[in-house]
Amino acid sequence: MDVAASRGALRLLQAFFGLLVVFLYVPIGILALFSFNDGDASFPLSGLTTHWYRDVFENPLLVGALIRSAIVATVSSVIAVGLGVLASFALIRRRFLGKSAVSALLFSPLVIPYLVFGVSLLVVFSAVDRFLTDTFGMYIGLGLHAVVVGHVVVSLPYTMLTIMPLLERLSVSLDEAARDLGAGPWETWRRVTLPLLFPALVSAFLIAFTLSFDEYAIASFLAGTQPTWPVFLFASLRVPSQLPALIAVSTMILVVSIAMVVAAELGRRIAERRYGTTLGVAVPTQPETAGPVGFSA
Amino acid sequence: MATNEVPAQARWRRRERAQTAGLLSAPLLWLVFFFVVPVGFITAYSVGAISIFPTDAGVLSLADWRRFLSGDTIYTGLFWKSVRLSLTVSIAVVILAYPVGYYLALCVRKRKYVLLLAIIAPFLTSYLLRVLAWKVILGDKGVINSLLVTLNLRGADEPIQWLLYSQFTVMLVLAYVWIPFVALPIFVSLDNLDRSLLEAAGDLGAGRLRTFWRVTLPLSLPGVVAAFVFVFVPTIGEFVTPLLVGGTSGYLYGNAIQDAFTRGLDWQFGSVLAMFLLLVVTGLMMVFGRFVQVRSVAG
Repeated sequence: MDVAASRGALRLLQAFFGLLVVFLYVPIGILALFSFNDGDASFPLSGLTTHWYRDVFENPLLVGALIRSAIVATVSSVIAVGLGVLASFALIRRRFLGKSAVSALLFSPLVIPYLVFGVSLLVVFSAVDRFLTDTFGMYIGLGLHAVVVGHVVVSLPYTMLTIMPLLERLSVSLDEAARDLGAGPWETWRRVTLPLLFPALVSAFLIAFTLSFDEYAIASFLAGTQPTWPVFLFASLRVPSQLPALIAVSTMILVVSIAMVVAAELGRRIAERRYGTTLGVAVPTQPETAGPVGFSA
Repeated sequence: MATNEVPAQARWRRRERAQTAGLLSAPLLWLVFFFVVPVGFITAYSVGAISIFPTDAGVLSLADWRRFLSGDTIYTGLFWKSVRLSLTVSIAVVILAYPVGYYLALCVRKRKYVLLLAIIAPFLTSYLLRVLAWKVILGDKGVINSLLVTLNLRGADEPIQWLLYSQFTVMLVLAYVWIPFVALPIFVSLDNLDRSLLEAAGDLGAGRLRTFWRVTLPLSLPGVVAAFVFVFVPTIGEFVTPLLVGGTSGYLYGNAIQDAFTRGLDWQFGSVLAMFLLLVVTGLMMVFGRFVQVRSVAG
């Protein structure tokens, strides 16, 4: 007897699961459909076209926004992964006073409403600018740097959540063996720890990148005169004639991001499986929980 | 020997301490400068301890706090409206996601991670876009209304208007947006469940329903609470979805905060509103925090 569900209950659960998948994908599908529609974003459909996809690259404002978002996402994810590695090492490999407080602080950006965080940074940047103008007659201003600063803060906990589980399972004795064999700390890191951690770093980078590339609330307060892609998208939603082109871009981003995430996840699993059998994963691996998007226990 | 060992150990410990400080300094400094300090700044700003604009009084005063807490402004009502709305959404989403997590964790044997990925994948697509999709579906010339017209159930010039721009729409869209995210912690808590406990309950004579109520559900509560908190926190500060599909009746507390900073330019009062929201969320985390294993949320 199956303990979890009777046959009838299983059918119901299956049906419910199916319905939910439909509910989740139909809206996205409909949107994608309109990106091929030769008319505005309303029914009835008026004919097949790909010209929205071609138009995209002729709109300099749109391309500019995409480039800005790519820059912000790249820079902020690199910083977040770097900081995430440092913090993860401290939390997993070290014992120190006030560890739980430090850990709480590092993870607290997970539970701050982005709206509140966005206006807080806006206030700080404005206050600092006011001070600088009054005393030195210069100012920093808002812009991409401000967005990067904010995005690093909110993606840092996600990078740690991705790196820490793998680090926890990497045996310290590997590092020690490398040291015993004469490797300095830098060489140990470069030739032993980093390669072993690499899959988690890639996952962490991708998660941070996706988060930053799509983030609107914080960016809307901090971007100033340099709109990132979501800020630009939101502002353009008021112009119905632009809608199909915007949907076309978004569909492309969607396809690319899903492909990236799936690739990263596959890569991570292959790497983990390989290391899991041949290299120092100390504890027998638990049944992999929540593998997708690189979050794992 | 012993006399040699002690200084060596002390030296080693000192070096280790220095290394730990080195590891922690960069992440902690970043968070202090760009997270703790900003929160401190809006706290200070909300009581007038700093001034940014020439119009700021620049004197310490709790006047704005008093104005807000007295309940005479529209903002108290907006706050409760937001609480009600995000409570409804969070509960609905958890109830909808639970059977999915249950099904994937306990009923599916092969390919459960592929199926889980299918549920989570929409969360990786653009947030704005997913909201926009509903605007296209529910709008006057949207999918539903044009379908009704095509079926001759309704004239072309009398679309159902309440589909878009209502509180219901905001809730529907928020639920749509957050379900994938919520399925994850619920799945994880059920997947980590020791199945032999269920079998034991069965052996002891409990039926499936009783096993569920007395064993499975209580053991998965941490995941449920985590899921709830992780929807409630972002939705209570939500302002984008109401802007896109809420209309005037979907105007929420988050919109009031945004307006204070972008339109009304009453930053000091905006800081009061933002700080209050942060206090509420912090209080919530203090109550529920111990149930929420951060690690369990992300897997």
